[in-house]
Amino acid sequence: MNPQCELAPLEAMKTLRYMLLALVAVGASLCACADEPTAQIRVTTDTILALLADPALKTEARNSERRQLIRKELDLRIDWATVARSSLGRHWAKRTRAEQTEFVSLFSRLLEETFIDKFETHHGELDKVEYLGEKIIDEYASVKAQVSTKDQIVHPVEYRLQKSGKDWRIYDVLLEGVSLVKNYRDQFDEILAKSPYEKLVADLRAKIPQGSP
Amino acid sequence: MKKAYLEFVVGLFLAIGIGCLAWLSIKLARKEFFARNGYEVQAAFSNGSGLRRGTPVVIAGVEIGRVASVGLQDYEAKVRIVIQQGVALQSDTIASIKTKGLIGEKYIELTPGASDKTIKAGGVIRETQPAMDLEALIGKYIQGSLAKPDDKGQPPL
Repeated sequence: MNPQCELAPLEAMKTLRYMLLALVAVGASLCACADEPTAQIRVTTDTILALLADPALKTEARNSERRQLIRKELDLRIDWATVARSSLGRHWAKRTRAEQTEFVSLFSRLLEETFIDKFETHHGELDKVEYLGEKIIDEYASVKAQVSTKDQIVHPVEYRLQKSGKDWRIYDVLLEGVSLVKNYRDQFDEILAKSPYEKLVADLRAKIPQGSP
Repeated sequence: MKKAYLEFVVGLFLAIGIGCLAWLSIKLARKEFFARNGYEVQAAFSNGSGLRRGTPVVIAGVEIGRVASVGLQDYEAKVRIVIQQGVALQSDTIASIKTKGLIGEKYIELTPGASDKTIKAGGVIRETQPAMDLEALIGKYIQGSLAKPDDKGQPPL
């Protein structure tokens, strides 16, 4: 028997073992990275951009399917309940539990539809998204990024996130230094100073496009 | 006797004058000899331009505190604020730097949040919105319009 033939399976086993080890190591490092807020934001952004760029989903017939898929990604990454509660600010505590639940549902649907509309309109202008760094303090994090358009305009974006289990979930976004929550909190303050809460809810309901889930 | 009385009156006027000057200097410099009845919180702004010791801190336009100090930490403006005792700040209170008047004096506006938790003495206002850099914002759009490629797809200068 050729001794080389006896050695071959051993060598193959060794190689396979190293490959497996390398795979495990890569997997472990990916898992570690995926825990970081920037990595999680990147995954969500890349998935949404891929959905928007997918030619198979660009047809009129599959538009609602594409919106549904984007909605699912947003739901995973954005803590709608905290965004809505924080946006209503000091008026939140004055509402009943049922009113609070209704408000979260209406406000999150409105924001979701607005975001998806903006993505669809401006997707073609996007050049690149760069992540500049993250800061984690206890269970809170901020991720700084910049979005560049094809016109060479750079928009600074800052995500504010809170840890929930293994996930980092967004509770505020600052675009050009302007906070989304602060913007809505000021608007709700102004509206509720002039008109009753029921009017605000009716206005929110009217703004949500018909047919959205 | 008359001379001593005259000297006393002159001395009294001088003392009152010096007292008034001292009061005016303290008020103008916004320095406090005795600590106000309040508690201290901190906030970090990515742009804290215009903030200095004594900058007012308001809620709904009512002054409820002042900036105690401004320093640099991790390339951010770290601000210590003294808040009046009795004014509770929710943990999702947003601190934003605003401008008032024609000369552009800065102040910090706090917008109360909805959280059940409040910020304790020595705590941090986590949510901050930096001072708006209007020049950069206007510049960006001017530059943006110049940077657009022309009709032939050629890049600008």
